[in-house]
Order: sequence, then C-alpha cells, then structure tokens
Amino acid sequence: MRIVIAEDSVLLLDGLTRLLEAEGHDVAGCSTADDLVAALASPATLPDLVITDVRMPPTHTDEGLRAAIHLRSVHRSLPVLVLSQYVEQRYARELFTTDPRGLGYVLKDRVADVEEFLDAVARVADGGTVIDPEVVAQILARTPRSGTERLTAREREVLTLMAEGRSNTAIADRLVVGLPAVEKHVTSILAKLDLPPDADDHRRVLAVLRWLDQTNDPNGAHR
Amino acid sequence: MTRDDLRVVAPALFSLRELALAPVSPATLRAFSQAVIGWIWLICVGAAAMVYVSVSVFTSPLGIGLVLALGGVWVAHWFAVAEAARLTAQTGVDVVAAPRRPNPRGGFWRTALSPLADGRSWAAIGYAAVSMVTSTIAFTLVIGFSAMGLAGLGAPLYLEHRNVPVHTMADVMSNVGPLPVAVLGLLLVWLTPVVAQASALAQVTLGRALLSQSAAERARAAQKAAEAARWQAETARREAEARARHMVHRAEHLTQTRTEAVSAADDDRRRIERDLHDGAQQRLVALGVELGVARRQAATDPQSAVAALDHAHAEVKETLAELRDLVRGIHPAVLADRGLDAALSALAARTPVPVEVVVGDPQALAACGPSAQAAAYFVVAEALTNTAKHAHASSATVEVTCERRFGWDTPARGLLRVVVTDDGVGGADASSGTGLDGLRARVAALDGTFDLVSPPDGGTRLTVEVPCVS
Repeated sequence: MRIVIAEDSVLLLDGLTRLLEAEGHDVAGCSTADDLVAALASPATLPDLVITDVRMPPTHTDEGLRAAIHLRSVHRSLPVLVLSQYVEQRYARELFTTDPRGLGYVLKDRVADVEEFLDAVARVADGGTVIDPEVVAQILARTPRSGTERLTAREREVLTLMAEGRSNTAIADRLVVGLPAVEKHVTSILAKLDLPPDADDHRRVLAVLRWLDQTNDPNGAHR
Repeated sequence: MTRDDLRVVAPALFSLRELALAPVSPATLRAFSQAVIGWIWLICVGAAAMVYVSVSVFTSPLGIGLVLALGGVWVAHWFAVAEAARLTAQTGVDVVAAPRRPNPRGGFWRTALSPLADGRSWAAIGYAAVSMVTSTIAFTLVIGFSAMGLAGLGAPLYLEHRNVPVHTMADVMSNVGPLPVAVLGLLLVWLTPVVAQASALAQVTLGRALLSQSAAERARAAQKAAEAARWQAETARREAEARARHMVHRAEHLTQTRTEAVSAADDDRRRIERDLHDGAQQRLVALGVELGVARRQAATDPQSAVAALDHAHAEVKETLAELRDLVRGIHPAVLADRGLDAALSALAARTPVPVEVVVGDPQALAACGPSAQAAAYFVVAEALTNTAKHAHASSATVEVTCERRFGWDTPARGLLRVVVTDDGVGGADASSGTGLDGLRARVAALDGTFDLVSPPDGGTRLTVEVPCVS
C-alpha cells in the first residue's frame, strides 16, 4: 500500500522508510507538516495511510497533530497514524473528537517494537483504531471514578485493550482466551460502566475513552 | 553688665541687706582676691607685653618685627582665653573669650597676615593695656581703704585725743580723737567691700566688652551656625537621595538581570531538551527500528540483516558522540577537571579556524570563581562557533586575563576579561533570541559587561568582563 510519512528527523524517516519498504509498501516522506498537507491536497492521489510525527518544524510543538486533524476534517476516511514523543492525553482528546475509524495515536518509542508498530500500521490502514497502551494506562491510573473499582482484574485488562482499540478477536488472542469469554467480559464491563452495549469496535472505543476522559476533566463536565 | 552680674559680683550695690552684710559676704572675698591676684597677673602681662612691643618695634626694620607682631597677636588670643577663665573663676560669672576668627581662604600672605586683621586680638591687647590702669586703681583703693579702715577701727587702742599742730595725718587724727576716727574706720570697713565689689564688677564689664563677643557678633555667629547646620542637613539629604536613587537603579538592574538569568536558564533547558529530543532520542528510536528490521530479516535474508546491524552499530557510535557533545554543552568536564586554560585550548582545537589562545596569569585565572570561568568558557565557545559558522574568518584570537581590583563600589576582588576577535566578515548580531543574547543575559546576571563590535565591513570583537567574587 501507499504510505506517506511526515517526520523531521532524517534518521527516523530513513529507518521507517526502509522498514516499511522491506514490508513491501510504497513509501513517500516529507519533513514538515506543511509539506504533508501540500502533498495530500488532491483527493485523487490520497495514500492508503499517513504517518505523522506530532512535533515538527517550524515551531516544534504540535504541527503534526494539527495537520492530522486538518487532514481528517478534509478527507474523512483517510487513515492517519500519529506518532508522539511523549504521552499527552490532551493530544489524544483533540485527535479523537471525531470518528476514530482509521485513526491511531502511539508513542514514538513504540516504533522500535517493530512487530507492534507494523501491527498498528496495518490496523489503522484497515480502518481500525489504535491508542497507545501508555495513554490508556495513564487515563486509567488517573481515573478515580466509581465503576472501575467494581471491575475485576481481568475486566480491567479487557477494558485497557478495548480502549487501545482492539477488536474482541484481538483481545482474545492477546489474553489467550476464547472469544466467548471476551464477549462475556465486554458485556459485563459495559454494564458496570453504564455504557450502551455496542458491537461496533470503533464506537465502543470512543465510548470507553469518553467515559474515562470525563473523569479527568476537572469540572467533571461532559465534552 | 547684666542683672546677674550685679547680683553675683556686686550684691552690695544691689540690695540693702547685702550692703549690710558686705564685710562678710563671699562676694567680697572673691572681689578682694580678684583685685589682688588680678592686679599682679595683669601687671605681669602688661610688663611682658610692653617689653614684647618694644622689641617688636625696634626689630621691625629687620623684618623680624612683623613675625613678632604676628606672634603677639596670636598670643593675645590665648591671653583673652586665660583672662576670661580667670574672671570666671574669680567672680563667679561666666566670661567667655571670643573665638579666634577662622582663617580666610586665599593666598599665602592673606592667610599668614589674617591674624593681624582679627579685631578680637587687638581688643584683647587693648584690654590688657586698660586693665593695667584699672586693676592698679582697684588694687590701690581696696588695699588702701581696708588698711585705713583697720587703722581707724584700732584707733581707740593707740590714739589719744590731743590738740597738736597739724603736720601729718597722725596729727589730724590726734586732733579729731580716737572715737570719730574709729567711726570713720567702721564706715570704711563697709565702704571697702563695696569698692572691691564695684571694682570686680567694673573688671567683669570691661572683660565682657573687650574679650567676649558682642550681642551682634553672637547673633551673627548663631546665624552662621544655623546656616552651616542647614547646609549640612541639605548636603546629607542630597547624599541620601543620591544613595536612594542609586539603590533603586541597582534594584532595577538586579531585577532585570535576574529575570534575564532565569529566562537564559530556561532557554538552556529548552535547548537541552530539544537537543535530546532531536538527537539522542530520535537516534535511539531509529536504532530500535534498525534492530527490529535486522531481527525480522535474520532468518530470511541474513545479508540484509547484517547490513541493518552495521547501520545500527554506526548509529550507536554517533549517538554516543552526540551525547558527549551535549554533555559538554551543559558543563564541560575539562573545565572542572583541568581549568579554564585547558578548556579554552580544547575549544580552540575543535574550531576549524586557526585560533590563538592568550591566557594571562594562570594562577589569578584559577582564583576566579567557577561561575565567572564557566561564563568565560561559554562566551568563547559561542563566539568561536559563530566565527566558524558565519564569519568566514582566516584566524581568530582569544585573550583571557584576570585583573585584581580593589574598589569601594564593588565587592569583587577580580575582573575576568575575555576578548575574542576574528578577521571575518563581521555583522554579528546579538539581538534577542540569538546565542549571543543568551550569553549577554548570563554575563549580566554576574554583573558583568558585554560588548560586541562587529561592523558590516569586517572583523568581530567581543569583549566580556565578569567580576569574580573569590
């Protein structure tokens, strides 16, 4: 598939390019967020996936993230995988305000874990949702909201994986249990958290994230 | 003469009661001693003065007279002081000698001859002359009257009433008879104290007139003193204001440099974070990717895997070099271990442009505080980096000297001066946001000065002076 990477570190861009090319992908690189937006101006030549770093020139703050949000608002179904140097819940919140289909937010360090990274690339390109376990762990750790304490240890594990955007099948694989067991856990979790039972993974992720996120809002207000 | 003088010195002239008690009054005793001692003292002074004046007059053609006259006038003041003290002690009222007139400012002659123009000294000399006469009269009257009084009182013991032809005073007394003479003696016993007191009063009055300041003079002196006090207060106020202004300036300066120092430190931290983020962290991530690729290819394509491992190896070495540079940028180890001299030599050796390093007394340099040394190091590092990057220079010079300095206005005991020059294109810029600006803040926080001369037609000269506390 065709992948466009926006990354200002030449080294990393080079490494990613060689990694993805070795996997048989067609890779194009650009070094600034503006280049990225310019490269994807025409809807006719959209790639299958965009990978972008958050921090890029000229201000080295959140150009990549804003470019990603912009691209998603223009091309709704364009899969975008955002790489972040550090876990920033605010970034995740900004990114996931819309349809999480084909959207990923992972720590840059995750790239070094090649299998994990390639898996994320494949899932996002496939229209899935990927949220870095670190982000989820951080949100969970800071969630004093009633409900989570009613979850069993296993259910918390399942909740974490749900929040990362994994499907029931993937969760079953990861936990080495059968699919019916996972489905049972999911139903139980959704019931305990008063969330609507929903078969759709994406909507489920969004609901879980929103639920978790509310609790971190100082005002407790729904967003 | 004041009412007080009258009451203390001559009470017999003041009240009838005192008049009645005059022969046994302490004022009378004082007046007697005043008349006797004063006369002896004033006669001695007068005789000495006459000798002195005669000598002065006779030697004046030789030029010595002028010097003697000056000395005499000078002595006259001390005579006035002594006489005022004597009068005070012997009469019981305060007589204060006028102070010497202050020497006027001016040339040598004006200053040297000024005592001659001091009317006070001449008045004292006049007092001495007049007093010779008055004290003699007073002494004669007092002694004469008391002798006559005592003789009269004792008349009944030795005088017989006889009618004799009058040839002497004793014949007169004999004709008058002992009783009237005794009555006259009794009268004199009362009259003598009155005369003694009166003469003391006269002497005090004379002293007041010629030795002391007049009321007008006193008022003038008081006015002058008040003016002097006012002037002093004004001066003190101005000094205090100046000091306060200075302190305000200093406080403003410190506030500003502190803010700049904090922001310079923040900039440094940001730079380090950026360096780590853009450098080591990215390299390590890339390294991870590289190793991941190698692992995936190990089974299927060993050759590619080895190539990836080679790549990763090179990556590790570059990361290490970069970390070393970064650490040096935070604080160079060589500066702490081997001192500024060695650190500057290392800097010069790393610079692609030939750099001549001239270092002053290494001991004095070593005595400068670590902050000053670090500032000097980073100034040189930044300047040489700029020289290498932008100046297109063919050579550069680094001069570092440490001066001992002793000044009231600075707690520092030394001044570290760094001068970096190059023969490049010039036009260097220390405006905000540049590396030089950060250095300027750093130097300002140490109370140092920062001077960049870089004309657009070529050459750059950066002079930084940092006080060292140790």
